[in-house]
Amino acid sequence: MQREAAIREPLILGNKSYKDITDDVVGPIVGPAPIGWKIMITISSIIAIYGVGCILYLIGTGIGVWGLNKTVGWAWDITNFVWWVGIGHAGTLISAVLLLFRQKWRMAINRSAEAMTIFAVIMAAVFPGIHMGRIWVSYWVLPLPNQFGSLWVNFNSPLLWDVFAISTYFSVSLVFWYIGLIPDFATIRDRMTKPFAKKAYGLLSFGWSGRAKHWTRFEEVSLVLAGIATPLVFSVHSIVSMDFATSIVPGWHTTIFPPYFVSGAVFSGFAMVQTLLLVLRKGMKLENYIHVKHVEYMNIVIIVTGSIVGVAYMTELFISWYSGVEYESYAFINRFSGPYSWAYWIMMTCNVISPQLFWFKKIRRSLTATFALSIVVNIGMWFERYVIIVTSIHRDYDPSSWGEFYPTSIDIGIFIGTLGIFFTLFLAFARFFPVLALNELKTILKSSGENYKKNQDKH
Amino acid sequence: MANTKRYWSGLDELQETEAFKNIQEQEFPEAKSVDEFLSDERLESTHTGRRDFLKFMGFSLTAATLAACETPVIKSIPYTNKPEDVTPGVANFYASTYYDGHDFVNVLVKTREGRPIFIKSNTKTGVGRINARVNASVMSLYDSSRLQGPQMGGADANWDAIDQLIKTGLQQPGRKVLLTNTILSPSLNRAIDALKESAGVEHVQYDAVDYGAFHAASLADFGVSSFPSYSFDKANAVVSIGADFLGTFGDTIVYNDRWSSNRRPESGKMSRLHMFETTMSLTGSNADYRTMVKPSEQGKIATALLKAITGQGVAANLSEAAAAAVANAAKDLKKAGANGLVLAGSNDINTQRIVNAINVALGSVGTSVIHSDSGLFQGDFKAFKALVKDMNAGEVSTLIVSDCNPAYDAVNAEAFIAGLANVKTSVSTSLVSDETASLCAAMAPNHHWLESWGDLLLDQERIDLVQPTIAPLFNSRATGESILTWAGIPTDWYTYMRQTHAANYESSQMYTNSDWNKAVHNGFIATNRANGEFNAYAGGDLTAAWTELNGRKGGAFELALYQKTTMGAGQHAANPILQETPDPITKVTWDNYVCMSHADVDAMGLNGFIGQEAPASVVKVTVGGSSIELPVFPTPGQTPGTIGIALGYGRGANGENIGKAAFQSAENGSFQMDASGKMTPVGANVFPWAVGGGNHVEYAQYDITVEATGGTYPLACTQIQNTFMGRESIVKETDFTSYFAERDIKKGLASWNKRITLGVHEDVNGDGNIDALDSKPTDAFDLWHEHAVEEVGHRWGMTIDLTTCTGCSGCVTACHIENNVPVVGKDEVRRHRDMHWMRIDRFFASDYSLKKGEEEGTGVISSYRRMEDPALNPQTVHMPMMCQHCNHAPCETVCPVAATTHSNEGLNQMTYNRCIGTRYCANNCPYKVRRFNWFNYPGYKKFANFNPAQDSLMRMVLNPDVTVRSRGVMEKCSMCVQRIQSGKLDAKKDGTPVQDGSIVTACAEACPTNAISFGDLNDKKSGVSAISENNRAYHALEEIGVKPNIFYMTKVRNVEPTQA
Repeated sequence: MQREAAIREPLILGNKSYKDITDDVVGPIVGPAPIGWKIMITISSIIAIYGVGCILYLIGTGIGVWGLNKTVGWAWDITNFVWWVGIGHAGTLISAVLLLFRQKWRMAINRSAEAMTIFAVIMAAVFPGIHMGRIWVSYWVLPLPNQFGSLWVNFNSPLLWDVFAISTYFSVSLVFWYIGLIPDFATIRDRMTKPFAKKAYGLLSFGWSGRAKHWTRFEEVSLVLAGIATPLVFSVHSIVSMDFATSIVPGWHTTIFPPYFVSGAVFSGFAMVQTLLLVLRKGMKLENYIHVKHVEYMNIVIIVTGSIVGVAYMTELFISWYSGVEYESYAFINRFSGPYSWAYWIMMTCNVISPQLFWFKKIRRSLTATFALSIVVNIGMWFERYVIIVTSIHRDYDPSSWGEFYPTSIDIGIFIGTLGIFFTLFLAFARFFPVLALNELKTILKSSGENYKKNQDKH
Repeated sequence: MANTKRYWSGLDELQETEAFKNIQEQEFPEAKSVDEFLSDERLESTHTGRRDFLKFMGFSLTAATLAACETPVIKSIPYTNKPEDVTPGVANFYASTYYDGHDFVNVLVKTREGRPIFIKSNTKTGVGRINARVNASVMSLYDSSRLQGPQMGGADANWDAIDQLIKTGLQQPGRKVLLTNTILSPSLNRAIDALKESAGVEHVQYDAVDYGAFHAASLADFGVSSFPSYSFDKANAVVSIGADFLGTFGDTIVYNDRWSSNRRPESGKMSRLHMFETTMSLTGSNADYRTMVKPSEQGKIATALLKAITGQGVAANLSEAAAAAVANAAKDLKKAGANGLVLAGSNDINTQRIVNAINVALGSVGTSVIHSDSGLFQGDFKAFKALVKDMNAGEVSTLIVSDCNPAYDAVNAEAFIAGLANVKTSVSTSLVSDETASLCAAMAPNHHWLESWGDLLLDQERIDLVQPTIAPLFNSRATGESILTWAGIPTDWYTYMRQTHAANYESSQMYTNSDWNKAVHNGFIATNRANGEFNAYAGGDLTAAWTELNGRKGGAFELALYQKTTMGAGQHAANPILQETPDPITKVTWDNYVCMSHADVDAMGLNGFIGQEAPASVVKVTVGGSSIELPVFPTPGQTPGTIGIALGYGRGANGENIGKAAFQSAENGSFQMDASGKMTPVGANVFPWAVGGGNHVEYAQYDITVEATGGTYPLACTQIQNTFMGRESIVKETDFTSYFAERDIKKGLASWNKRITLGVHEDVNGDGNIDALDSKPTDAFDLWHEHAVEEVGHRWGMTIDLTTCTGCSGCVTACHIENNVPVVGKDEVRRHRDMHWMRIDRFFASDYSLKKGEEEGTGVISSYRRMEDPALNPQTVHMPMMCQHCNHAPCETVCPVAATTHSNEGLNQMTYNRCIGTRYCANNCPYKVRRFNWFNYPGYKKFANFNPAQDSLMRMVLNPDVTVRSRGVMEKCSMCVQRIQSGKLDAKKDGTPVQDGSIVTACAEACPTNAISFGDLNDKKSGVSAISENNRAYHALEEIGVKPNIFYMTKVRNVEPTQA
């Protein structure tokens, strides 16, 4: 068995046995729903229903219910889209990239991070759909054989690449997540006494029996999927960034966008994971599995990606000056000094300055500070997309068309609504799904569990 | 003989068996009740498989669903007898003439299936081209608020009752008066004479905007009462003192044509225009030199000019800048001599007489100014005032009001309204129940001009004809016919009109007289009369005039009343397209407001920036005893210490049913109501603020008060950034001297239109170094495959001359009507969602530039900020902007579904059916010309009151050749592809290549100064291809390499080189 150096902190605290792990994870699923959960899901579903209402109003009336105009054709819709896709990056990165790098600390967080990814990508997918003027013909973006003659999609359009990128990413993430869930579902099935639930989990677990052959296949599939998913982590946001990078709008037309967007996405994704997990571990009493060490590791990722993002901001500014292009330089001068400079400076503060606080070990290991900063980063990353999208197009080439964007209540309602839907889904996940990859965790109990590491010290 | 043959369906029938008889009697031979059917035991033995069952279920479900999804049935009724010359799908054009008391122009009316849908210029007559107001006037034909028939006392009546009423009225003692606007129709004048004779009726003419002083001054100086004819084509130096001759002053349509003919730099000479005015007008924005003066100073400018040119009189005390401008203008005038031209807009006899004296001194009377017997603006305000006085004294027994609306637009409207109550018999021939008509005892609605016959005499050399293009929509009657009836003449109006021109006309000649047919076809009858000669200048002592002018004093604030180029004097208030057409200067739609200088706005602490969520400050303007609260629009070029307010707004203030678009709609689509439950009109009426103390009405006040109220009011402005931020690849301009010096230089090399090049990493110039000097022109760079449009087939293109474009917005309305562009209303315009395919970008010059900032040591950021502010009295550029039909269109590559593509004729085409509405194309369009259908404009309740497609009658004006777009799709200029297609088809039928000029887009057709040309760039002989090769031609934003098919022509101002 692989062993860790004694100086490393154990990954599983609290002298857990195999049974304890199963109890801790399956217990809340089998037991009755706690009152706190009920309150939370009520609130989030009310918000979700409001959001759905706003979406239906939008679809029924027209895109005009948003604050967009002839100059600013995208604003909150695509901002939200990119923000949610970005958030959806952490899960796959944690489960796939960290799996390939054999980072065992990921096992405590990958399940919920992946769930977050799936739900975030679902939320993200809402926006390209509803931002269309005619959502009822949205299937035209798919290269389907049709009776319109030789009519085909436009493969030059980055929006089409988006369709492929997002749908691939979503399906691979979903399969990856589900494969990981299968042994855990089987464990729940075995514990479950209520007949309907037992049957349901039985179906979900695809007849898993825990045979060695199953485990072999499970691990092989996981590795293969990790291999497939890893490039997708980088491709999705690169392609999303091409929506902007391939355009001719000053402020969008930037070759730095793909790496900049990917690191931004990882940055915001990890921040969202922090936000969710810090609540989750408290609510579901998982402090022994997800503890300061995990938080610290993730904070380190946040410093690194946050700094990359900061460098990217500086590079953009430098290039806009260095290029000597009138429009390009004006776009960036306008960004930090024009009507939307407030958004720019919120972005700079939240994304560049605030993560640097994690250089202090005290802050990095403080759960309260981490929670606060994770929300700051999420806000900052939303503004980053807002700044890129709105400040670039609101004053582009032709000054006669310069304008401003003002969100309407529907813009806000739909964004808040997607947060509601997201949290509803995540709460449902926390209630009915194993929030930790319990069977995987068991594999590291002996190498990285507190109890076992102590024993190790004795020898 | 009856046919006795019989046919048998079978032997059973032939033999008439029992079984056959039984079957024959039953309608449904095997009919069984449901019970019977179900209880049939044989049923159990039959077998319907599960699969079959599901198949049937599936089929019936689908069938039921499909049946439920029936599309709405729209019935169209085919012709039983097809009218001659009406072919469905083929337009007919009829020559006619538009005259509404102000605008006068020969037009061609386009009808489709009998419906007039578009008005364009009848260019063959040589009298100017139409403007926005005339173009959009076709909407008024289909206004559902038009009177459906005669009315009496507010109830429907029949014509006999009306005639009885009037005939009785005409026999009453007391004054019997026919009040009309200026009548130019010889037949109508004849009928009026008959009415005068038969019933002792007096005829009083009254113009909404009075020009009486021009007639009076002509009479005093030249012995002829006439409105001067200004020949800008013969003038090399023009000095206008407050006369907006390109927009609203006088015979503006003709002036546009004449002025622009002398503004073509290629001809080697250009006229120079000096403007002295208060509020920036369309003319002022096109002036080479514009000086801001207060209304009280306008007369002083005239006296100073007189002094400078003739040495006569006393020069007024002017500010240094104004004095210098006068000296400059005088220098140009002296140089031009007989080819100089001075005109003043002020309806003040002293000013006009001084102006006459200047023109006489220049020798321009007879060349560029002609005082002949032009019939325009015969309105006699003095007679009108006397009439009102008599009405109030109860001395008027009968009043017939025709084609004028004094209850709205008279200075003394209040007295008129009060007097009208004392008139026993009053009747109006207005088409709608307007301010005056609704107070009259009876309404005898006239035909719309598109429904009527008429003749008009403006120019002595010919008579212009009005012909009906549709049968009257309602039970209306031509005013001429009404007057004939009231005069007791049994002849019908058409016959009467024909008899005017051919005394012995018989009705049998209706269609047979080829001279008449030709005249109707051409739109005019040439007469052999020459224009009347005017007398020599009578002159006389002008001391009193200049003393009065020089003695004028103004208060803290002065007020100039003006007309908006797009709206006129209020007659078009219910026209949704004109309301939505932005004012050429302010770009504000759907409102009138106080124009105020930035200096005053800042001093009063009012909002200096008007945007979507930045409303205008409301001020209280007090003139004499009356106050109106209006929003303030900070207007560059407004003289500090003055304000300007547009006439023609506030129509229907008492809820008169003058048309839905004249009233403000709330955001939910219902009318906005005021506290008393009346509909709120658009804007406020300031006609009562004109000065009518003397014999003429003057449109200025020298001492008013303006106070801030602290309130705000949203204004809907289509362009909120006023300057072009020094982006010289969008707007190129130069001065005439610099142009002239390099006029023959190769395209791309002139200092004022240098081809843009991009640096490359290769040694292009061969100097052994790769450095900043190595660059290639933009067309050397290609990311995409070239669209094979050059030299292959057609390549449609356009050239737009910024020198002659005045910004009049005729192209905007023409495009609006031709292409069924939705009207979206004030709230949507405020939200920056106007739908204009064709817009005119109006850029004011800024005092500041990056270069100046560098010299002064200002940082780049503050320099850019200061460049956002226009100068106090800026130079202006009007730049029509529509889809540039780029050959490397950035919109085409980003559409995920290929809804916007390039045609092999160079058009960037938009396929509405395919569009899914991602708006990516609009974001990626550097010219921002793409327009998105944010709502279902033809159906959504918010637009119910003003969108023509939502009115069952006004919908008739929609062009059947152009799709009405649905919600959620992108739209933009198609270069009138429907016209291109039909032009190509016509050529194909004729078996000839498409001739240059046979296809014209709506905007090019409407342009009154010929600034827009359209044609085939691949046709090397075409006009447009020649112009595109001119060295003034450039592509806007050339450096981004999108390769447009639209060329702009560098703007040339006729100013001294340092001032360009």
